[in-house]
Amino acid sequence: MTTPLLDITGDVCPMTFVKVKMGLQRVPPLGTLAVRLKEEALKNVISSLKTEGHRVTNVSREEGIFLLEVTKGG
Amino acid sequence: MSEADYKELKKGGMMRQAESGLFSVRLHVVGGRLATTQLRAIREAADRFGRGEIHLTTRQGVEIPHVPQGTLAALKEFLAPSGVGVGVCGPTVRTVTACQGCRVCPSGVIDSPELAKAVDRELYGKPVPHKFKVGISGCVNNCMKAEENDAGIKGWIEPRWEAPACTFCGVCQAVCPTKAIATSGDGRALIIDPTPCIGCGDCITSCPTGSMREKIRGYRVFAGGKFGRRPSLGRRTLGVLRAKEEAMAAILAVLDFFREHGKSRERFGDTLQRTGFPALETFVKERTGLP
Repeated sequence: MTTPLLDITGDVCPMTFVKVKMGLQRVPPLGTLAVRLKEEALKNVISSLKTEGHRVTNVSREEGIFLLEVTKGG
Repeated sequence: MSEADYKELKKGGMMRQAESGLFSVRLHVVGGRLATTQLRAIREAADRFGRGEIHLTTRQGVEIPHVPQGTLAALKEFLAPSGVGVGVCGPTVRTVTACQGCRVCPSGVIDSPELAKAVDRELYGKPVPHKFKVGISGCVNNCMKAEENDAGIKGWIEPRWEAPACTFCGVCQAVCPTKAIATSGDGRALIIDPTPCIGCGDCITSCPTGSMREKIRGYRVFAGGKFGRRPSLGRRTLGVLRAKEEAMAAILAVLDFFREHGKSRERFGDTLQRTGFPALETFVKERTGLP
């Protein structure tokens, strides 16, 4: 199964958080979701993911845009 | 009544109003907290002895204005059973301000009201060369404006980097508001510079692998701040402190320095201008044995 990609580079808090949460609803437990986001959204998105029991399993970046691989909690 | 008598009254929290024969009575409030029983008594007192008005001061205090001089003693007596004391003014340690702290505020790092109580118990109303204000902020967001106080405290998270799980993804460096995290020359370590670090802990909350961790969740002391006519900001002294008792010891030492070196009618920040900040640092380190 290919990893779905969620692009929230055009969103600001709290929509970034809401969209990631909705995106993860379409992913099975332990499945992955790729999230493209801007630097400003990193802190809130990652900290809320951690709080909700998900994990960021890979991070890459290009030209100020970060790409997170999020593994949904079990 | 002589000027000296007015001065004495002022020290005891009774401030002569512009309007002749009336006083604004300052009450003893700690960290901006009052019990509802105290509030009821204050309301009743303002109705009976004042004009049914209460003034909220800029530093979380409460005053009852428009109290005739002849009833000051009776007002004090009326409030006492409800645990409402009369405040202080003049060259004394003033109201200790505090935010809600970590028991209420999700951002809170320290229990600011508890520390405020401890500082108040130890120091409130004590004589000093000039007015001395203590303010306690629970975290880096600094709602209580620690640096505006003669001695300020701020909740502080000191980060520590651990190598094994780190993937050098760059998130901590991207989120750090002061760019305090650098990669070592060989690219195999992260170095946190404590000078620009503001103790927010953002690097820790956003680290995907848990490689940024809390080294100390504690207290940071600031000294020499003031507002008024010539504002100046307090500066950090000592390292990040681990316990309430250490913060208390630091404040006591800062105050001792002021007592030894301050001149009458000279704010602490001006004393430090005169002695130089390093003199305080040396004194406080020696006195407390803290890093």
